[in-house]
Amino acid sequence: MAITRVLSVNRGEIAARVVHAAQALGIEAVQAVSVADRDSMAARNADRTVVLGPAQSRLSYLDPKLLVHTALATGCDALHPGYGFLSERATLARLCAEHGITFVGPRAETIAALGDKLEAKAIARAAGVPLVPGTDRINDVAMAQAAAGELGYPVLIKASAGGGGRGMFVARNPEDIAAGFDKASNEAREAFGDDTMYMETFVENARHVEVQVFGDGKGHVVHFGERDCSIQRRYQKVFEESPCAAMPDALRAQLHGSAIALVASLKYQNAGTVEFLYDVNRQAIYFIEVNARIQVEHPVSEQVTGFDLVQLQFRIAAGEPLLLTQAQIPVRGHAIECRLNAEDPYQDFRPSPGRITHWGPPRGAGVRVDSHCYDGYLVPPFYDSMIGKLIATAATREACVERLADALDRAEIGGLTTNLPLLRYIARHPDFIHNDLNTRWLENTGLPAFSAHQE
Amino acid sequence: MSTGKHTLVKPEDVENLIEIFKQSDWDEMHVQVGDFELFLSNDPHATGPTRAAAAAPAALAPAAAPAAGALAAPVAAKPAPAHGGDAPVADGMLVIRAPNLGTFYRSPKPGSPAYIEVGQVIDADTEVCLIEVMKLFAPVRAGIAGTVREIRAREGQMVEFDQVLIIVEPAD
Repeated sequence: MAITRVLSVNRGEIAARVVHAAQALGIEAVQAVSVADRDSMAARNADRTVVLGPAQSRLSYLDPKLLVHTALATGCDALHPGYGFLSERATLARLCAEHGITFVGPRAETIAALGDKLEAKAIARAAGVPLVPGTDRINDVAMAQAAAGELGYPVLIKASAGGGGRGMFVARNPEDIAAGFDKASNEAREAFGDDTMYMETFVENARHVEVQVFGDGKGHVVHFGERDCSIQRRYQKVFEESPCAAMPDALRAQLHGSAIALVASLKYQNAGTVEFLYDVNRQAIYFIEVNARIQVEHPVSEQVTGFDLVQLQFRIAAGEPLLLTQAQIPVRGHAIECRLNAEDPYQDFRPSPGRITHWGPPRGAGVRVDSHCYDGYLVPPFYDSMIGKLIATAATREACVERLADALDRAEIGGLTTNLPLLRYIARHPDFIHNDLNTRWLENTGLPAFSAHQE
Repeated sequence: MSTGKHTLVKPEDVENLIEIFKQSDWDEMHVQVGDFELFLSNDPHATGPTRAAAAAPAALAPAAAPAAGALAAPVAAKPAPAHGGDAPVADGMLVIRAPNLGTFYRSPKPGSPAYIEVGQVIDADTEVCLIEVMKLFAPVRAGIAGTVREIRAREGQMVEFDQVLIIVEPAD
């Protein structure tokens, strides 16, 4: 079942990336866009572009039937969902399967199982993967207080269907639970249509590490090393790197083994990421979730392994066997990515859409920029604010940090406000240089220092 | 296939074409090879190929009906024109545009009369066509009043968001 024509149904840099990867493999690329993205890079580079609907995502990128209808009407035999939007909605994968369209991603049932966080944890537990000590469903404040008493404070209370920090809060005592529980469960119902809540031990000194995996759908799975994405703001990653230099090799082996065991148990198909919390104080890893899609930060894994992961997605989706063995995927050197956003770091990260009058990304050895922007591109106000990713690669982390900082200094973006000043500040911060970080470093240390630095 | 004057369309070719048509869920099929012409339709009142089709913008031609996805024509040359490369609309005319991408149908169901015909006077509430997305059929209201001058979208074909479907001469 070779793929001859793919419908790319995402936008921004990943759509441009998908179109490019398809064309490199001799696959025709049809780009589906909202009216706001008619002039996007992906639309320009695709073999054909079709306008789905108005700018609102709900009427364009978030309508699975509209996307599958478009795939059929344009003669596509495959659909690439990118990340975000409907990429992890089992409905889209199922609808594709029902209409003979190859979904470039995991099977619908895998997406559905992993999308339910309680079910995902049950799968992890069954595969012998370590979990953060936690609870099953929590119904109300009293039940939450009793469970927290057993687990020990602080605890993290989360929505089962959640993500992006919504429906989630930290409680350090019973009063915090009383104050926050109903609000969080209401938020979960609003955001996800599901107010099922659960609770975990809260890890004070945590890194976010994740393993890039690929499966052939028949039980053979390999990994492409791990990524450390500890620099986050409101659960949004800002810097990502591979490998996780702070992790001892013995623990890294356990990390990889856990990720492989989990996805092998699902006979996982295509690309995925198994996310873990790295408890630095206890030198332990705990499973968080599996992201059943290609991720924003996949380029750092490409840089240290030498594989084009989006092309590999197409090959696996087309039914090519996954002939790679783990020994054929050595990790060499170090890569760091940071996300360029059209937002104002001095104004509480307010989005700053507008026209890019000058797009001057840095160039040079070991510098990669994945972006959909160009001179004169209008960043529309309807979608997320990411305008590109800057990726530096070098033999060591030390050299990579220096290369990244230098590349950020040379980046020139005119016409709109971006987070470049913050990225530059972080890249030169001693804690970043010395890799003395955790998931709360940016909010607790980095951002306050950045604000003070400006005064 | 030969496009020369002396075309060699054999009876079995015609039989094969009829068979393809029967097995499809297309509403009609029009084949022209040199001076050979074949028109098949499920509409008992059909008199021949819809001539409006010939006037449709060239860039729309590659779009095939959803059911015929596997037979879709090659993708259009790039750069892709905005909303299907609308042909110009005469001064003073109003247009009804597609509210979203979908398949355009002129009548409420196969075999029933079209919502509107060229020359018909419509008002803002007149339903003028259907746009289908995965078997979900949504009627489109005119939104404007006047006399229908041209039906530009083609029956059973994909239309994109904002594409011109119908041209209307405004009421005075």
